[in-house]
Amino acid sequence: MSVIHRVRLPVGATTMVEVGHRVEPAEVLATRRPPGGGVTIPVSAPLHRSASSAAACLSVRPGSLLESGGLLASDNRGHEVRVPTACLFLSYDLADGSALVAPLMGTHPIFGHVRGEVTTVSVEAIEIRVAGALIRGVGGSGTAVHGELRVVVREPGDELRASSIDVGATARIVVGGSRASAETLTRARAMGVAGIVLGGVLDKELRDFEATQLRRREVGGVRGDFGVLLLEGFGKVGFDHGMFDWFRQHDGRMASLFGESGRLYVYDADAPPARRALARPGDRVIAHRRPFAGLGGELVRVLDGLHATSSGIPARSGLVRFEDGVTAVVPLANLEATEPLRGS
Amino acid sequence: MSVTPDTEMALLVDVGSAWAKAGVIGRVRGRWRLVAHASQPTAWGADELRTRLSEQLAAVVDPRLGGRVNELLASANRVECHTARQPGRLAVVAVSRDLSGSSARRAAEAAGWQVSGLVTLDDGRSLADRLALLQLLEVDAWLVAGGFDGMRSLRAMEAAALVAAARRPDSGPVIWAGSDELAAEVLSLFEPNAVTIVDNPRPDSRREDPGPLRDRLQAILRQTMAREEETHLASIALPRAVGTLALASGLRVLAVDLGARTATRALAEPDGTLATRVHGGGGLAGTVLVPGAAARIARLAGEAGEEAAVADLLQTLRARPASLPQTPQELSATQTAARVQLASLMEDGPGGPIDLLIGAGSTIACAPHPAQAMRILIDGVRPIGVTQMATDGGAVLGPLGSLPDDEIREGMMLLADDLLVPLGTAAITRGGEAGRVAMRVTVHRPGWPASGPFEVRSGQLQVVPLGRGQQAELTIELGDGVSLGAARRSPRITAMASGGSVGLVLDARGSPIPLPRRGDDRRAVLAGWQHALERDAVIGAERVA
Repeated sequence: MSVIHRVRLPVGATTMVEVGHRVEPAEVLATRRPPGGGVTIPVSAPLHRSASSAAACLSVRPGSLLESGGLLASDNRGHEVRVPTACLFLSYDLADGSALVAPLMGTHPIFGHVRGEVTTVSVEAIEIRVAGALIRGVGGSGTAVHGELRVVVREPGDELRASSIDVGATARIVVGGSRASAETLTRARAMGVAGIVLGGVLDKELRDFEATQLRRREVGGVRGDFGVLLLEGFGKVGFDHGMFDWFRQHDGRMASLFGESGRLYVYDADAPPARRALARPGDRVIAHRRPFAGLGGELVRVLDGLHATSSGIPARSGLVRFEDGVTAVVPLANLEATEPLRGS
Repeated sequence: MSVTPDTEMALLVDVGSAWAKAGVIGRVRGRWRLVAHASQPTAWGADELRTRLSEQLAAVVDPRLGGRVNELLASANRVECHTARQPGRLAVVAVSRDLSGSSARRAAEAAGWQVSGLVTLDDGRSLADRLALLQLLEVDAWLVAGGFDGMRSLRAMEAAALVAAARRPDSGPVIWAGSDELAAEVLSLFEPNAVTIVDNPRPDSRREDPGPLRDRLQAILRQTMAREEETHLASIALPRAVGTLALASGLRVLAVDLGARTATRALAEPDGTLATRVHGGGGLAGTVLVPGAAARIARLAGEAGEEAAVADLLQTLRARPASLPQTPQELSATQTAARVQLASLMEDGPGGPIDLLIGAGSTIACAPHPAQAMRILIDGVRPIGVTQMATDGGAVLGPLGSLPDDEIREGMMLLADDLLVPLGTAAITRGGEAGRVAMRVTVHRPGWPASGPFEVRSGQLQVVPLGRGQQAELTIELGDGVSLGAARRSPRITAMASGGSVGLVLDARGSPIPLPRRGDDRRAVLAGWQHALERDAVIGAERVA
């Protein structure tokens, strides 16, 4: 199977690949020269004019790109102002007769972070066909990372403990269980783990982790990328058994994780267990709200009419036999049917 | 000779971003009534919705029609409204965060745009970071604001230049809402016809006038995003229905519709004039983006649990908007989130008393207890004065508002009995000293001895039973420094109240509602108010579904 990955290009990017090109995660797809901090260039003084009359001599308008030595202003009588380096012209100050420009910095690479074949190249985006599976999560954090998958918990409901992160997890994408504390995430990052895939995490712990990383980045204490992907929900939420089995089957495969956008590409992988919004009797299901969030089971039957939950909301509900042995009535809106793995 | 029995029916469908609601109207003893109603996650699809309606109808229709219900439903007139399939995404670039930036952002959100990025020249980012952020945004339009009218602001021009540098030509309109002196220069930065000049929402340092910008942004949103018949958009249809209702009843009507993604506020004057605000990210799923929302909800809800649990719930509302609160704690937090979102929808809200307040959207209209719907409305909207309260329990206002102009009123008259679910009337005061009597209310019902006077002290909430269909005249004496919103001409005020499933709510908690600082005290006070509201309400009696 294959999926399409889209890499959006910023304005002014120069593409380095063509359709049909095979790319690797660390390969440069395009480059750009981002503007740096603003600097002012005197305009009225070199033109021997007042600040207000020099405005009419500008040969570019705000937002224009200028090459090194490009003409910024001219009075058509031999006086010219040229920019010393390639820059972006932003504004002209009528008070002091100077121009504000943002010099273009060095060439900045744009990576795709995936392995695949380029299918489309346009000024707006490059699309890459990835041979493998795409898994979408409900949230995440961090940058794009790449590494081998490594399942480090025994059961889908197990919490990912800091002690599970050892040197063997370095540069890998660790597949954990139902939760990881901020301490575990911090240790993982410190051990050089590329990323973590979890069933769920407490929103507060994820925010705390992000805050500490931000502070460390600000003082220059953090290097390297790290991503977190949440598959099922927020809180202590385990993996669906089928999905966990799928990860176990693909232990050791290469993958690319995009934390911020909640996506995981697993290369050369079979299709992951599919999900369906409306569950039918006999379906394997996963529950998404408390008190059963993240628990898998089987929808035994759909109840007639509406059934009031303990919150009092009347809803179409079904009787679910959960894998932990509990049988409970759950609103169908809180269930998703999960397709069994092929061959299982 | 055999006669094939037939029937007339119509399907009213409201397809939201998370939930779809449908009602079947048919003739019952010569009158048009809502005879079946179902709601379900939108992702379940139309076939499932029709199956549910068929099941309900099969149990009640003429047995001779029993086998043909599905076929009749499939061929029934379908009146539908829906949430816009994709929100309009806007980038806002402004000079200052607190002045031009906040004005522009508020106006954009109130016009229904989803603000995908906000950059101000005092946001602490470097110039390079601002440009990098803007260059990566995928938006449908750009809004630039800054500078006071009559002045040439270098910074405002810089803001426009940032957009010129970051935006691809022909990639969505640019709206200039800055200094009028710079308008011509800004026009020259972009390709022809790209820029729309709008009145400055901050014409000088002391004045804010976001109205023209908001109206223009609303119009641009419709031009840019509404590729379908716009009267079928819920954000257009619901206000149209509310306008018709106000015109027909001679009442000042406010409707608030809290959806998963968006929130809509429609105020209709008795002459039918409408003022609508659509907050693009103002739905329940957007609560997570409100700074400090989890802490605020944990504090206001009383029984929602710890802040961390509320934070997880808010993320769940974003990630799985079609799921339902299954525990009392989650319900309490969700309803409090609804109150918070309504309160923010009512910022810069309509002044003056409201005659009728209607709550729409599943969280309000399908609250398990009518007192909970009442609580969301009176705490979220806080309408000072004497106001009839109702919900759009059958989700029929939106579909009816999508009818042609001349048919909306007819549709409402036909469905008069099932149009709204009355909750009762709320008399809400502000001002007064804690512990002192805020109002004394005597209730006169025709044919009954007067009841009361009911004394309500500042900080208290009391419910007087007044059932559906009952009318009463209220005589209200206000305490010192207490107001019902309008100027007082005599020490006694009379007002009419109509009953509903909650009754007459006398609310002297003020606005905003003060709460004890100590957690235990606060929880006790909150529980007391909830108990007062629920005690006399008739559970389920007025529910449609």
